[in-house]
Amino acid sequence: MRTLRDAFSFGDLPLVERIGFAIFIMFCTLFPWVTKGSFDQAVMIQFLIFCLYGLGWNLIGGYGGQVALGQAKNVGMSAYTVALLMVWWDIPFWLSTPLGVVVATIESFVLGYFLFRLRGHYFAIATIAVSLVWQQLFINWDLIGGARGVELPLKETPNFLYMQFASPIYYHYFAFLLVLAAILYMNWFRKSRLGYQLRSITSNEEVAESLGINAHWVKVKAYCITGVFAGMGGAFYTVYYNYIDPFSVMHLELSVMIALMTMIGGAGSMWGPIIGAMILIPLDRYLGAWLGGSGIIGVDFMIYALMVMIISAYEPKGIWGIIEKVRARR
Amino acid sequence: MLKVEEIEVRYSGVPVIHDVSFHVNGGELISIVGANGSGKTTVLKTVAGTLHPTKGSMEFENEDISASTTVEIVRKGITYVPEERRIFGPLSVEENLKLGAYIVNDREEMEKSLDYVYGLFPILKTRWKQLGGTLSGGEQQMLAIGRGLMSRPKLLMLDEPSLGLMPKLVDEMLEAVATLKKEGNTILLVEQNVREALEMADRGYVLQTGRTIHEGTGQELLETDIVKRAFLGL
Repeated sequence: MRTLRDAFSFGDLPLVERIGFAIFIMFCTLFPWVTKGSFDQAVMIQFLIFCLYGLGWNLIGGYGGQVALGQAKNVGMSAYTVALLMVWWDIPFWLSTPLGVVVATIESFVLGYFLFRLRGHYFAIATIAVSLVWQQLFINWDLIGGARGVELPLKETPNFLYMQFASPIYYHYFAFLLVLAAILYMNWFRKSRLGYQLRSITSNEEVAESLGINAHWVKVKAYCITGVFAGMGGAFYTVYYNYIDPFSVMHLELSVMIALMTMIGGAGSMWGPIIGAMILIPLDRYLGAWLGGSGIIGVDFMIYALMVMIISAYEPKGIWGIIEKVRARR
Repeated sequence: MLKVEEIEVRYSGVPVIHDVSFHVNGGELISIVGANGSGKTTVLKTVAGTLHPTKGSMEFENEDISASTTVEIVRKGITYVPEERRIFGPLSVEENLKLGAYIVNDREEMEKSLDYVYGLFPILKTRWKQLGGTLSGGEQQMLAIGRGLMSRPKLLMLDEPSLGLMPKLVDEMLEAVATLKKEGNTILLVEQNVREALEMADRGYVLQTGRTIHEGTGQELLETDIVKRAFLGL
């Protein structure tokens, strides 16, 4: 009961944030009815997927202060599980997704258990190394499609069990529901025991341990939850695109994007990942579409880099940090 | 209660504690005094399990703790309040305190501890919602001690609680420590205000370059030459 109340109660947040959240819900609900452009709708769904990734990454990277750069492999493992089960044994989405999430979480657990012996930069580098190994493995593993990837068999008619729909509207609302669930979870999390433990470790690990908090175990737990979010996102990604390969779901670029987006929005804050996704995803897609067509390739990356530099130089807490500073001044 | 015998502690191979022995009985206030670099903080950190002795033995309630981890030691009932008031800046006062009760699983028990700490340091109650980092130095120290008390430890180790506080607050802080002792807490205190620390202590130890060179009641130690010369300037 208490858990539910904590998850659904946003009462302790300032009015502005609650209004912002309401506008976000309204915007996402009405979006497919207002715009009919399929490109816009695709960008919107990507935005929602990245919200999900970011909200999950915020746990370990924001609240936990551990720069983990390997979300893509969790996304990928879940995506591959869902895709292969569907290709090999025709197992529906709703059965394979829990399995995919479990696979992603187990990977998080095993990896976290060993890697959290490392700290700071060493941890970040180790997660990158492991991601690269996994990606190479997936590229060269012919049994699971290798570099060609996996294509899902299409059903003749739209099928709810396999999450195959004719209109993107269904995907939009499903992704939106996932994001809402993630937000409710985070709202519970920030008031939970685990949330306080994690923040105390970020603040001062030595002192946290002197209070009897097992820092290693808490980090592993948080990393597993991050894995669940990534796994959920990966499963959805698979049925939305009907095609996955090691370059789209296992790529380091995806991991970096997730981390970057959260940091730009504001790591360690409730709304940071959403703000980050709101800026970076449209910027990435529209700019890519606009400039890519005109032959100027790479300008979007330059704009990224510029933003990262500005953020890291002026406000390490990201855009949310700037908002809070302005608020404190008034 | 706590019995430390002839321990040697090394920092990456280099011994800094050569031969330290002391014991703490239940209900006592024990002061460890010594010059900077004599190893006081190292001794506390060793008891807290952050460091481990390479020689000698440490027993708490007749159980060997020389190889125990920090977490195990906290669970056994020893809490270490580190120097320089290391509180959690981004968390509120109450959140800081609740984290101190991390090993207490009973919600009611935790509320009781919270009331106890608020009773001891009323200023914390008026500031409960404020972020730890925005408190004044003295308040942060109270918060650090309060957080240490939240798990109701059998032995509370205080590392320089008056460090960096203004003189008026130093007295207040030491009075608070005396109150804690009166209420039956067992305290191991490391303090730079040697006179006050020894006056209020039941017993004390003098450390010099990693060795215990004197022990005795607070009064006895105040009259030894080394304390007079080195710390009191007499």
